[in-house]
Amino acid sequence: MSSERRASLKIIGTIGATCAFPFAADELYAQQEHTHTEGVAAQLPEPKYFSKEDFALIAKIAEAIIPTTDTPGAIAAGVPAYIDFVVSRSEPQQKLFKDGLAWMKKHDSKALTKLCAAVDKGHLKRPEQRWFKAMKNLTADGYWTSKAGMAQTLGYKGAAILAEYPECREH
Amino acid sequence: MKTYDVVIVGSGAAGGTLAAHLARTGVDVAVVEGGPKINTRSDFNTHAMPWEFANRQIPRMKAGKQGMDSERARGLGGKSLTWNAVAWRQSHRDFKGKSIEGAGEDWPIDYPDLAPYYEKIEREVGVCGNYDGLRDLPDGIFLPPVPYKCSDKLIDNGARKLGLRTIHVRKATLSRPSFGRPACHFCGNCMAGCDVVAKYNSYDVHMVPALKTGKLELIPNAVVREVVVNSDNRVTGVKFLHRETKAEGEVSGRAVVVSCACVQSVALLRMSKSRLYPGGLANSSGHLGKHFIPHFTGGVEAFLHGLKGTPLKDDEGFLDHAYLPSFMHERKRDYARSFGAQFGYQNRRGVGWARDIPGMGDSYKQVVKANYPAFVVFSPYGEMIPNPKSFIDLDENRKDEFGLPAARRHVWWSDNDKKIFADMQHWSEEILRAAGADILQVYKEPRTNHELGGARMGSDPKTSVVNAQCQTHDVKNLYVVDGSVFPSASEKNPTHTIMALAARVAENIADRMKKGEL
Repeated sequence: MSSERRASLKIIGTIGATCAFPFAADELYAQQEHTHTEGVAAQLPEPKYFSKEDFALIAKIAEAIIPTTDTPGAIAAGVPAYIDFVVSRSEPQQKLFKDGLAWMKKHDSKALTKLCAAVDKGHLKRPEQRWFKAMKNLTADGYWTSKAGMAQTLGYKGAAILAEYPECREH
Repeated sequence: MKTYDVVIVGSGAAGGTLAAHLARTGVDVAVVEGGPKINTRSDFNTHAMPWEFANRQIPRMKAGKQGMDSERARGLGGKSLTWNAVAWRQSHRDFKGKSIEGAGEDWPIDYPDLAPYYEKIEREVGVCGNYDGLRDLPDGIFLPPVPYKCSDKLIDNGARKLGLRTIHVRKATLSRPSFGRPACHFCGNCMAGCDVVAKYNSYDVHMVPALKTGKLELIPNAVVREVVVNSDNRVTGVKFLHRETKAEGEVSGRAVVVSCACVQSVALLRMSKSRLYPGGLANSSGHLGKHFIPHFTGGVEAFLHGLKGTPLKDDEGFLDHAYLPSFMHERKRDYARSFGAQFGYQNRRGVGWARDIPGMGDSYKQVVKANYPAFVVFSPYGEMIPNPKSFIDLDENRKDEFGLPAARRHVWWSDNDKKIFADMQHWSEEILRAAGADILQVYKEPRTNHELGGARMGSDPKTSVVNAQCQTHDVKNLYVVDGSVFPSASEKNPTHTIMALAARVAENIADRMKKGEL
């Protein structure tokens, strides 16, 4: 059983990819910079762990990582509540987020962009780098396993009921 | 208290097959299972989606349904409820590895001994597959195979460029309605528990029909802690603890079969200490627990170029549809034995790889979307050679919820194992590259899977635990039937061989019952 679990964790796990960093979201990101967190907070449920102010900041960063396009972004997908849930149950995560929030409050979105690039290159020495890795992981996990992310953005219907398995004719 | 002819401990593929085969011939059987009764049609979260759960982890059981708690208390049907149903026949090469290559251990039986029982199992549970005519992967009695996925076709193209071939997977899952069971509906959730019993499980396919004989009794929620042996060197039954109340209980039998899935079978025998067997029941050889030879897997994750950015299809199927049979036996190499590979048996609810796609923002979102239909995992399985540092024992300092010592696995990779691992990773990557793929990750460490060995079969009572009929050398009315009896592992998924062994042992026990030997 334990080996099965390890295997599945691994499959859900990691990819050693290099950072190409084509960053097309600058524009959208810039817009968000002018968004007051009060506006974000209005779209959010009541946080369980974070303060309202921190929760709104978390939501803003999650939305910057996976923005609204022709399909929903992180906030509409409920990612902030997922992050709140996971962090509320994990002391190591709480420590990471304490560091990360302190850093975010002193830095702007350009710095966040640079931070992402550094983490993609594998830099994980600094506290904010370790936090961003966790933040990106939780945002990705929360978004791609949400109905908005998986069904709407990726198009997964899931659990199909087929009378016959279709032949692949393309390849 | 009733005395059964045969008490079987464990209700998985081995125990369930044995129970049905014995009951049908008129033998009085009790199956003692640690876990509860599970209804595969209603109790599993077969079709659930991750977003239905706050932590996005899909629990195995639906809310309020019990089962699959631990290795000692899974449920009626055992691991056959959640297996992937791959069903290979082993070949002469797999049974006689030592004679052929000087590595590992020979079985005391050969392919012709087991072939009729493979066929028996195929005719009663249904195995789909193609007739491939391979010497080392014998054909059987098959239902039609299921078509390749597009990813399989791309991988097959890659394999062909390297002079290799893939074949249709063979699974104990119905590709056509048969035996009063519906065909697979290709929902992609086989290992979450099949909700229509298109996939074989030992409870619905073997034990439930056998209940009609009136000769089979199922005793769930009974965690066996000891097989009892008397001063005449005969086992008389088993002692158990109730799964919930922890109350003590006993079941008596004229013979006992231990079928608890490899590691737990060894653990149970080692827990069954007595004056006659202070080192564990049927362990006069000192070999009980030794020769632990789980398969080891590697893995390569990749995105197939041919599927990047293509429209998503409902093509999860019944997980893997194709297989790369062992080919190294025909090639020059610096190690003994070989490996085979399954591929594409991930389903699409696992998107953990999206974490490590670089960047953020719109472009990140688009890259994940484009890669989603193209993600594939290639999973080779290697044969481990028995070594003295790989064994199963009990950890007396670590007790489980029943106060029983935890089973402990010791695994050490020999040079031969490491060479196979390196080569199977190399070939996996080469095939994917030839197929046209971006390699995401090549797993660096072998991981165990398909646990085998620990109570191995052999002709010599000094170096093995059971004989060719899975009867222990030490105690004439005690049998062990499951993966633990494998003297060598081959690279093939073992369950079909375990079921064939169970059918063969059932015949032997029924014969001995008739002759009054038990």
